[in-house]
Amino acid sequence: MSPTRFASEHKWIYISAIVLLVALAVIGVINYTSVRKTNEATDKANQLADAAVAAGYPRPDTDTIVRTLGTDGGSVCEDPGSALKSALWKINVSNGAAFVGQRPVIGDTQALRAEAKILQIYCPDKLDDFQDRLDDLDTDDTVRR
Amino acid sequence: MASMDIPADGPHEVARPAVRAVAAPRLTWLTLALMTTASVASLRAAPTMAVYGLACVFLYLVPAVVFLLPTALVSAELASGWNGGVYRWVSEGLSKPLGFLAVWCQFAMTIFYYPSLLAFVASTIAYVINPALASNGVYTAIVIMVLYWTGVWVSSRGTKALAGLSSWGLVIGTLVPGTILVVLGMVFLAQGNPSAAPMTASHLLPQWTGLASLVLIVNNFLSYSGMEMNAVHVSSLKNPAKEYPKSMFLAMGLVLLIFILPALAISWVVPADQTSLTAGVMQAFEAFFSYFHIGWMTPIAAVMLISASLAGMLTWLAGPSKGLLEISRNEGYLPPYLQKLNKHGIQQNILVTQGVVTTVIALMYALIPGVSSVYWIFSTITTQVYLIVYLLMFVAAIRLRRNQPDHPRGYRVPALTLVCVTGWLASAAALVIGFVPPSQFGGNSVGAYVAFVGGGLLVLGVLIPWAFLKFRKPSWRMEGGDAE
Repeated sequence: MSPTRFASEHKWIYISAIVLLVALAVIGVINYTSVRKTNEATDKANQLADAAVAAGYPRPDTDTIVRTLGTDGGSVCEDPGSALKSALWKINVSNGAAFVGQRPVIGDTQALRAEAKILQIYCPDKLDDFQDRLDDLDTDDTVRR
Repeated sequence: MASMDIPADGPHEVARPAVRAVAAPRLTWLTLALMTTASVASLRAAPTMAVYGLACVFLYLVPAVVFLLPTALVSAELASGWNGGVYRWVSEGLSKPLGFLAVWCQFAMTIFYYPSLLAFVASTIAYVINPALASNGVYTAIVIMVLYWTGVWVSSRGTKALAGLSSWGLVIGTLVPGTILVVLGMVFLAQGNPSAAPMTASHLLPQWTGLASLVLIVNNFLSYSGMEMNAVHVSSLKNPAKEYPKSMFLAMGLVLLIFILPALAISWVVPADQTSLTAGVMQAFEAFFSYFHIGWMTPIAAVMLISASLAGMLTWLAGPSKGLLEISRNEGYLPPYLQKLNKHGIQQNILVTQGVVTTVIALMYALIPGVSSVYWIFSTITTQVYLIVYLLMFVAAIRLRRNQPDHPRGYRVPALTLVCVTGWLASAAALVIGFVPPSQFGGNSVGAYVAFVGGGLLVLGVLIPWAFLKFRKPSWRMEGGDAE
């Protein structure tokens, strides 16, 4: 069987895959709403930037924080304590593998608490559930700052 | 039995009588290199490793020396001399039952891996469509089912179909966005901005905190798991002896670049307090693109990540199951039903059976919170099981060099024994460190953790394959299966 015949046999699989991915990307771009810069968004971004400095990081660009988190925290504040979201981040507190070699490690304390800081500023009502799950973790300071 | 045999295995093989042959689809060495890269590397890990800043270079390079290099070089030598992949190498070097054990371990651990990979894909699709869906169990279950079974269907269409999809998935889902990340990162630095993560010599090494750092470093060896997996397709190359080593060397370079450079680029632009380990991969990409006022790129990057993840899944669906089939047909290790091939010469029944088990596990993951909350522990068990493959492979390579020194090989590893001992010790270290409880286990009993991981390793990696060997019947052997 020649490679050409294989290619033509599977062409419609490739085309379907491309159409689906492009459609998904178009939906994503249409759904994407850029965050308007408001006083509230700037205030919250400043609070988060202050927290980063207090944690020993260089001061992040507050405009970028505004564009990422807006006033409501964006996707970070979308049910952060749910079972499935927690399951995913628990799997992602892992080594640097991208596929089957992925396995859990002892995560960095501050890196694991970074989201809690965002929740505290942007959606404090959702912090408790998340905090409970964080408190169950055994962490260490594995990132050099 | 109306079935077709696997392709003849090249110049060192004896053609099998009495069975119809399906011509091996031709793959180029470049396609195989892309498939290998797609099985191992993607940008999914970049935000996680960006948290470590410059130290991520160390965290990838040290494992590259002690694990990636031995794995890649040894597979290059073995695949350039023997077709069939790890089952064949271990069968020839050690024994046939151990060959079965090796490919079983490579196969079985993927069953638990697919639900977590596809749950990640489902959450990324949710990010694009409606982030609220990411917490919905029914949505997650449906996405996992649809994607998994579509993957099985595509795989059952033949190696060529998945080769094209997986290599293009790598290009679109990893190489293109990875290049964009690195270029934007360099633009960021060229504009005179200070790197968000310190890039001084003192930050080249990770923080040393004792056991936690050791766990991090040693577990990172496993980042390169799977480099040898696509060797099962080596008979699809025109000249395996010369082309496979070439494809492996290219894959090795690509994997290193994909792992290291995008992680560094993210660490330059996004402060570690925004690349939270818990907020998800897309959060880091959103922060990255937002700096450049191109936040709308985030959903496009999400779709690219999805394509890379699915490309990787396709290679894992096709590889280990093919190896399992080949040794089972030769030795009768699996019931005849599982040895049947479809008209494309693909082990469809193995894929479907695997799919049924995966479906049950995935439904439990998506719909039962108690299962999803402890699912991380399966990634430890499955990686432990996978390490058995490497332990066997390195010993087999040394034995083959000693026992069959004149067997034609397209490539010979210099100082093979040293390379194999290094790889074996790295694998053994990773196996031992796998018993250290990670963050997720909290302050619970270490003994309980060791018992759980050890029990899982025993059941999945020893008892089940032992049962197959114990209860096999002579009639399970396919006609002509002793040709090797």
